[in-house]
Amino acid sequence: MSTLARFAHTLRYELFENTPPDTKGRRLFFRGLELFIMGYAVYFCWTWGVYIQQNISSVLLPLGLANYIDVSFMFDHNVALINAVLVGVLGLVGFFRLWRPAYLLALLAFHLQYVARYSLGEISHGSNLIGMGVLGLGLALVVFQGERQRRRFTFGFLYFFIGLGYTSAAVCKLIGTGITWPDGRHLLMWIGERKVDTLSRFGSFDASMLQDLVFYDYHFGTLILLVGLLTEAVSFLMWWGKYRYLVVMLVVGMHFGILFSMNIFFQASTILLILLGLPWHRLIDYGLDRAPATVASS
Amino acid sequence: MGFPKRALQIVGGVLVVYALLVATHLGEFWPFSIYPMFSQAGNPWTRAMVREMPSQTDPDTLSWDAVSLQSLPGASYPLAPKGINQNDVANYVSKTDRWSDERVQGLRSLFTKGRSLSAPLFIFRVRGKLDSDSVGVTATPVLLFEPDTTRLNPSPTARTVASTSPPS
Repeated sequence: MSTLARFAHTLRYELFENTPPDTKGRRLFFRGLELFIMGYAVYFCWTWGVYIQQNISSVLLPLGLANYIDVSFMFDHNVALINAVLVGVLGLVGFFRLWRPAYLLALLAFHLQYVARYSLGEISHGSNLIGMGVLGLGLALVVFQGERQRRRFTFGFLYFFIGLGYTSAAVCKLIGTGITWPDGRHLLMWIGERKVDTLSRFGSFDASMLQDLVFYDYHFGTLILLVGLLTEAVSFLMWWGKYRYLVVMLVVGMHFGILFSMNIFFQASTILLILLGLPWHRLIDYGLDRAPATVASS
Repeated sequence: MGFPKRALQIVGGVLVVYALLVATHLGEFWPFSIYPMFSQAGNPWTRAMVREMPSQTDPDTLSWDAVSLQSLPGASYPLAPKGINQNDVANYVSKTDRWSDERVQGLRSLFTKGRSLSAPLFIFRVRGKLDSDSVGVTATPVLLFEPDTTRLNPSPTARTVASTSPPS
């Protein structure tokens, strides 16, 4: 067996076979995760829709499909708000399994909303993991008939692409800057940038304890950046079941590090990671097991 | 075909589409991305700040010289309470090579679409760069949005990101 075939075999096992037992807790947890992903997709689309309608009137930087179609039709006549409603309706249709292509069509509408919202040049990554979640759910719904297979596919799909994404971020840093990337003075620069942004947004800026530490001695910044880079670099290890929860929670820790050092919080991604990084199904099973006993004893 | 094999094939197919789309669209085709944020460390950055000037300001007496962050004229004009995204303003002032009418109107509409101006707004391009072990920050006025008209920095070179005059 070639190395590639052995690797594919390992991935197949780790992502889609080495999964927790399909208990009631797992089934409920999956439906909760599905609701979270689609709920957040609707939330993004709705807030972007309001912003597009109020503030955007031209395309400065075409992203995604906006390279091929003129998305300026989204800027007026409440089109962006109607699109947000469409995502919500398709989300409900998919959630109740009324029409199998619903989630993939919701993703298309979500994509249009994204490229219209970020047509002014800023590329936001805060919604990418939710988008990947909708894609995973959409493919599962279209390709697989059984709910058990849909669950196993969605979880494996998410762990694969989330792990790949964070490791890709580390590789980009090493290509873009090289091994000097974790130099603490770089963190000083980013904190300075965030200070200007915060002043611009709110009119005042208060440094966090972590930021004060970096101002005091930028070598603390070197330590913070080094831990962050290493965490990103090993993120692909979440493909393996035995490292999964540890690695996902390390990435969650990194997000809190980003919050306290740079005032940037990827809320949707962090919550999604917390959902994927802890064995919630066991907690639900435990609760369900205890519930009848409690009722009986009372 | 068994479920695990089929599932991995789909992941492989998505991976190929992912790679093709990001390779042909500068690393971004939402929700696919190579996640390049913060990859170019240590480079100078450019952001934006907005200052609200007194309503009786005489535009002809305003200085268009670069200043330090501590010497900005006027009062703070926080964008968040107005529902304006800071990144969008920063993108206009940092990524505009030539202030065409369309660009000027695009930025102005962030402040005027659905609302009116009660006082002039002074838009600054703020640039930060590493000076030894600290960060030096300079703010250059780019545009003045008056309730009825817009003025650009009279110096064509100072209007765009290429210029970095030292603070006076």
